[in-house]
Amino acid sequence: MSSSEPTVLLIDDEVQMRRFLRASLSASGFKLIEAGTAAEGLSLAASHNPELILLDLGLPDEDGVNVTRTLREWTRVPIIVISARGREASKVEALDAGADDYLTKPFGVSELLARMRVALRHAAHAGGAPEPVFEVGALRLDLARREVTLNGEDVHLTPLEYRLLSLLAQHAGKVLTHSHILKEVWGPGHAAQTHYLRVYMAQLRRKLEPDPARPRLLMTEPGVGYRLKDEPTSRR
Amino acid sequence: MQVPRSLIGRNVLLTVALIALATAIGHLARDHFAAPDFVMLYLLVVVVAATRFGRKPALLASGLSVLAYDFFFVTPNFTFAVADERHLLTFATLFIVSLSISALAETARSSSLKAQTEEMRSSLLSAVSHDLRTPLAAITGAATTLKENAATLAPATRDELIDAICVEAERLERLVGNLLDMSRLQSGVLEVKREWVPLEEVIGAALGFVEGALGARPIRTRLPADLPLIPVDPVLLEQVFRNLLDNVAKYTPAGTPVELAARAVEGGVEVVVEDEGPGLAPGTEQKVFEKFFRGAHPGTQGAGLGLAICKGIIDAHGGTLRAGTSARGGARFTLTIPLVGVAPQVPHEVETAT
Repeated sequence: MSSSEPTVLLIDDEVQMRRFLRASLSASGFKLIEAGTAAEGLSLAASHNPELILLDLGLPDEDGVNVTRTLREWTRVPIIVISARGREASKVEALDAGADDYLTKPFGVSELLARMRVALRHAAHAGGAPEPVFEVGALRLDLARREVTLNGEDVHLTPLEYRLLSLLAQHAGKVLTHSHILKEVWGPGHAAQTHYLRVYMAQLRRKLEPDPARPRLLMTEPGVGYRLKDEPTSRR
Repeated sequence: MQVPRSLIGRNVLLTVALIALATAIGHLARDHFAAPDFVMLYLLVVVVAATRFGRKPALLASGLSVLAYDFFFVTPNFTFAVADERHLLTFATLFIVSLSISALAETARSSSLKAQTEEMRSSLLSAVSHDLRTPLAAITGAATTLKENAATLAPATRDELIDAICVEAERLERLVGNLLDMSRLQSGVLEVKREWVPLEEVIGAALGFVEGALGARPIRTRLPADLPLIPVDPVLLEQVFRNLLDNVAKYTPAGTPVELAARAVEGGVEVVVEDEGPGLAPGTEQKVFEKFFRGAHPGTQGAGLGLAICKGIIDAHGGTLRAGTSARGGARFTLTIPLVGVAPQVPHEVETAT
């Protein structure tokens, strides 16, 4: 086993989930270490310095949201939380507590690997200057020159639309919660005004999506937030 | 079971009328019978009230019986005065027997109701466990075949089995999700978290989710740009569109066009989801919203919960959901969302070039 394989820490009490993830992640070139409880997971995170953490929110000994908070006290390691459908509130809590992304059980391995790639890539760029140019499909965003083009043609955005798009582009591929976006774009006093955000997202879609009712770039994550696609795949 | 408020008043009136009738009969027959005989007449009224009208009318009948008996049949007549103390014993007996009858009748009613509920629950349970077992059986079958014949299976067969596992697992996931939604709706823990959202966003999320299932079916959306924001729980409303579109995927042939159209109506927004498939069987426009109802389509499976969930969610928003037939004979679902409350204003921003 070469040391270039990224180490992934999996914190999940479900034996069958661990089995499935062990098989698929080792096959995809990751080195997996496993914990069945929050306590074990926290100590392995400290002793092994993993490159990424997969954290189940339904652990027997501690709420996954608290685990996220504890980890964020001392590490910037990307955390992807795993939770069941219908628990949007706890996903949002975990994301606002510092998790990087989430997966809803049951999920396929390709979805998992895509999320992991995005999280690892963002971690690699963290601290450095953001990529000056973001490109996906027909959309091109030049952050240095504040230029947005679609199929090579200039797109005129309002200042708020531009701030919203550039925030999403800087975190492309990652989900951003409503409150996070509102704080960044509108300021801390507007974290609860989700209708502002929804209206501006609709405006952006009208300017950037061929069919705004079937978005290909500016994706809605119901009950959680938005995600700007970073790979021009049309199917999820 | 709850007796509707309007019926309570009617039942009370009927009880009073029956007591009056018993008194009238007794009065006419007073020369041929002794006073204690009329006790039986009153008991008859109590039995009728207890078995037909419920507990409160039965209690009322018990009290009225004693009073009417005293007033009309106990000397001195037409007063509540009692000349002979032995009548007090009759009153007490009449009252206690009446109370016992109404209590017994109540127990009988509730236990028969319980038996009905029990019967319904067990038939639901068997329907559900059948629906759960079918995909599970397919998964188990395919997985064990793969496990035991790993070396000898032709690659094509292996791929087929793996596909079957994925498809059936997805079906199982939908089923479990629906059951969960249904139980949430029924237990009343479903919380409608209203926010002001553009309909387009909700429909867009639902379309993204069912895209794979819809395959090559052409999808047309007609959403006016000036549609108002709607006060809904976006996660729940998305579920409604997901279920409606899932049905299109299940019940229409591949390639069948689907249309989603919305318009502003008086006090709300109306959305029509229609397809050009075979449509609903005539006369099932109401039934499709019942739990565990399944259209008589060959080769399709589901628990028959999707539309019941849609109805439950739309009801929780104070809206309406109707099923019908589209102009081209396909299924049409029309839902309305009322605009409750005051829509928030989004400050206008001056457009400047970037």
